[in-house]
Amino acid sequence: MYECRKVIQSPIFLGLFLLFSVYNIYLIVSSSDHKEELKIVNELIDIYGRDISDTSLARLDQDIQQEMTQLKRSVGLEFESVQELLENMSLEEQETYSQEQWSQIQQLAVKEMYFNTARSIDENYAVITIQAAGEDEVRRYGLSGSAASYLLQEYEKLDKRFKELVKNEEHKQWFFAGKAYFMHSFLFQTVFRHIIIESLLLIVLATALITAYEFEQKTQLLMFSTKRGRKLMKDKLTASIVIALVTMIFLLGITLGTFFIVFDYSHVWSTSISSAFNWEYNFPYIAWWDISFETFLWLVAGIVLAGGLLMSCLTFALSAVVKNSYIAFAGIALFFVAVLLLPSFMSKSSILFFITGYNLSQLLLGIPNSFMGGGLTGSRNYEWLTVSCWTLIAAGICFVAYRRFTKMDIG
Amino acid sequence: MLVVKEVTKQYGDFTALRDIQLEFETGLYGLLAPNGAGKTTLIKMLTTLLYPTKGEILYNGNNISDMDSSYRELLGYLPQQFGYYKNYSPKQYLLYLSALKGISKKEALPKIIELLDKVALGDVMNKKMKKFSGGMVQRVGIAQALLNDPKILILDEPTAGLDPKERARFRILLTDLARSRLVIVSTHIVSDIESIANEIIMIKNQQILYKDSVETICGTLDGAVFETSMEFEQLESFRQSHVLLSEKQEYGKMIVRFIHKETPLVDWLPVQPQLEDVFLYEYRDETNGTEQ
Amino acid sequence: MRMIWNEMKKILTWRMLTFLLLVNAVLYFLLISFDIEYFPNGRPALDGYHLGIEMIEEYGVLMDEEEMLDFRRQFESRKEEANEYLQARPEFAEAGIDGYEGLVTSDWDNEEQQNLHSQIMHEQQVDLFWELQERSRLIDFHDTKEMIGFEPNTLQQTRFDKLLTEGKYQAYPEVVIQNFKEFIVHVGITILFSVVLLISPFILKDRTRRLLDLQYTSKIGRSLYKTKLIAGILSAGLVITMLLAFYFSLYAQNGTSPYFSLGVNAFIANLTWYDPTFLQYIWLCILAIYVIGFIFTMLAMSVSSVVPNFVTLIGIQIPLIFVMLLIGFNILLGDIISVQFPQWLVPCLYGLLSIVSAGLLIYLMKREKVKDISE
Repeated sequence: MYECRKVIQSPIFLGLFLLFSVYNIYLIVSSSDHKEELKIVNELIDIYGRDISDTSLARLDQDIQQEMTQLKRSVGLEFESVQELLENMSLEEQETYSQEQWSQIQQLAVKEMYFNTARSIDENYAVITIQAAGEDEVRRYGLSGSAASYLLQEYEKLDKRFKELVKNEEHKQWFFAGKAYFMHSFLFQTVFRHIIIESLLLIVLATALITAYEFEQKTQLLMFSTKRGRKLMKDKLTASIVIALVTMIFLLGITLGTFFIVFDYSHVWSTSISSAFNWEYNFPYIAWWDISFETFLWLVAGIVLAGGLLMSCLTFALSAVVKNSYIAFAGIALFFVAVLLLPSFMSKSSILFFITGYNLSQLLLGIPNSFMGGGLTGSRNYEWLTVSCWTLIAAGICFVAYRRFTKMDIG
Repeated sequence: MLVVKEVTKQYGDFTALRDIQLEFETGLYGLLAPNGAGKTTLIKMLTTLLYPTKGEILYNGNNISDMDSSYRELLGYLPQQFGYYKNYSPKQYLLYLSALKGISKKEALPKIIELLDKVALGDVMNKKMKKFSGGMVQRVGIAQALLNDPKILILDEPTAGLDPKERARFRILLTDLARSRLVIVSTHIVSDIESIANEIIMIKNQQILYKDSVETICGTLDGAVFETSMEFEQLESFRQSHVLLSEKQEYGKMIVRFIHKETPLVDWLPVQPQLEDVFLYEYRDETNGTEQ
Repeated sequence: MRMIWNEMKKILTWRMLTFLLLVNAVLYFLLISFDIEYFPNGRPALDGYHLGIEMIEEYGVLMDEEEMLDFRRQFESRKEEANEYLQARPEFAEAGIDGYEGLVTSDWDNEEQQNLHSQIMHEQQVDLFWELQERSRLIDFHDTKEMIGFEPNTLQQTRFDKLLTEGKYQAYPEVVIQNFKEFIVHVGITILFSVVLLISPFILKDRTRRLLDLQYTSKIGRSLYKTKLIAGILSAGLVITMLLAFYFSLYAQNGTSPYFSLGVNAFIANLTWYDPTFLQYIWLCILAIYVIGFIFTMLAMSVSSVVPNFVTLIGIQIPLIFVMLLIGFNILLGDIISVQFPQWLVPCLYGLLSIVSAGLLIYLMKREKVKDISE
């Protein structure tokens, strides 16, 4: 496809792509100091199985006690828990331990932490009142009227789901401790957000380049009077979409590839995303369906791909009409931010507040909370509704833009 | 007046022009060559857009680069493709350019009106140029070249986009201007300049082929141009053995005009060589080079 | 000169200005509006803001030991008022709260006490108690005024000690300076985007539209390039000035003028290498925005003079802006004189960036004079 070549041959595109990839790799590697500790979870799953049951916990407890006894012997101290030992240890004392002893202590401390957290899952989940959380949200955002009732309704549905989840014990699976490592946020907020912004930049630039190319190179008279004629625009749209897809796949591939090389997720692939350990802030993550981490990852990647393709279409439409890649780029950027801001202009008592939140920008920036309940975008249908609506919108806009182009004078 | 002294222009290992030696005085010079021969390169060097790799260009003994703005002050240039601001009217556009040419607004305004009238654009003076036809834009280009009453007027393919009536008017304008200044017209439309040029310059193989009056150049083919008629079937073999200058179909037969340097056949009609004939003959085996 | 004005007209077209308006509107709502609309942001910020003004009125711009004592005396007397307030309401005694001290040290697990606590603070929002809370926090700082508050290196400690000898203590609530820092960085970002979007295309446009042939063969010739550069800088300056004027007129709504004569080191947790007054600091930040604006104007013009098309123009500037957003603005604007960074860093960075961007332009100017124009 000649149209694709135009982009690939442009050095700036490849240059930026490289730059972004390198930056992403740097980002991941520089935050990787705790990757060794994470492996402990893999160990736990290996030995005790993925699900946390009373029996497996009892076994874990036994093993921990055993190791503690060993440790006590090795360091010659008495303590109730490794936590206690660490709290009472001064910096000088720390120096006296050998490398081996120290890593033993650390490992045991982490296991202990996991055990304690696991043990208290039930009571932690018991105090969660979804309804109250819903009311809190209403108060926090100052909602009233139809907006408030809508949100409360959503929380009611979430309540049902929550109870279901607890009953099925979906949350009793081992995962990386959220409050300690924030792996969910790191991957889905930080890393993914970088991927998304970088992809969007590349996609919008590439699409604008391809679409406005003839006009900027002054070959428009020539190209659009050939046999293929104005249908060339269709080719350009196809090329833009292809480039968008390829860019995202590569960027996702390189970045996520690095991520999973650095962080060993090998055992937690099938852990439910609603695992109790996946609890980072005030609320655990509660997905609407029982999906594993792996499934979640694929779904989220799907959202990113869909979002990127839709943005490419919108950029195409704008570029075809203004015929200037500079204005198209700035215009789409403006559009993206403006749409994101739209809900904040809506009255907080009207349901429009929520409806306007079903936009692409919000969808792409709110990845960590996709498919989860809670918050302003927590509806069960949020993701697929937003994607399908915007697919229709984008398709419609592209169609109109293309029609306009075929009827337009080319000077 | 204007001397091109042993000028060579090279781009890396590609030579566009080699050892060009030319002298221009007042009058009209036609620069004739096919595309890619180096016409535009020469023109751009004369207008300071390109710098010679070797040699120099002198105006009244002074190097034109050194002269800087005092040379360009005397220059009027119409490029082959020039840019303009679509949202400007010709008046605004010429005002913008007159500022660049160092003409005060007070002086420029009446001149602009006069020039636009001269090129028959007086009644669209305030309309945006994006609505103009190609010919109208070209005429604006001609007007701007004359803004500063230049002593050296250089025009690159000036009649592109003009209809025959406009071209005729243009020829008259040029002759008029050439009476008191140096006018160089680069073109490959022979009819535009053959009747008005004092001298024709032809470039071939990166060097000057001819710099002479039209008569003298045509004289190089004296007694070598003939016309005859033949059946269509004979045409192909005739083409193999002769340089054909034109083929015309008339009353079922082909009338051909061709070059023949040796003894002619009796039924061939000798004709007066025209400038176009020389052009076709000299450049008959030129492959199109790339012109920078 | 007419030519500079002509070039400026090409930059500041109605289309571009409308576009700038849109960009600023969007960025305003995204970044700046919060700093204006929600100032002071809730309590105790509101109380800090009022207390600060009171302190300045009573004690001036420096607080010495005497004045701190006086402040503490005021606190005590207010506490008495609070005690009376609580004792006059029987529900507090029932819950086991016998005075102000009792209220603030109430048990986390005692539900009744917690309810009463939130009743006073959140539902009724009784001013007295918020004021007391803030006063108490300030007194803590007054008490520890000889301590730097973080792990300093030698230079930072020396600077702090010097201030101590001059009797300049960190005594005043920091609400205002925090808000200003956020505000100015957000304004800086908005202005940067505005300027770069405005200036980037115009030099490239003449090249892509083949205007150079006519421009460079006119009398002014290649010197026009310099004229374009000047026009660019002037246009940028104009836009920066107008935007600054507009945003500062909004900032005036925050009513921070009583703080203007306060030295910036008097704000809590705001240790800086120099000691300008708040107003002088504001001017410094304004100057910084101009410099940043001009640096990026020059960079944009350099890029515009070299690249073949608009996409590359944008593409090359993206990483530059990225870096600026990530760390540049914090170092060069938000924490411009903060001791967080070595004293030499900020001036060096500014110097380096200015030299590089100006140097690029000078190089390009020279090159334009001898370059072949064959596009």
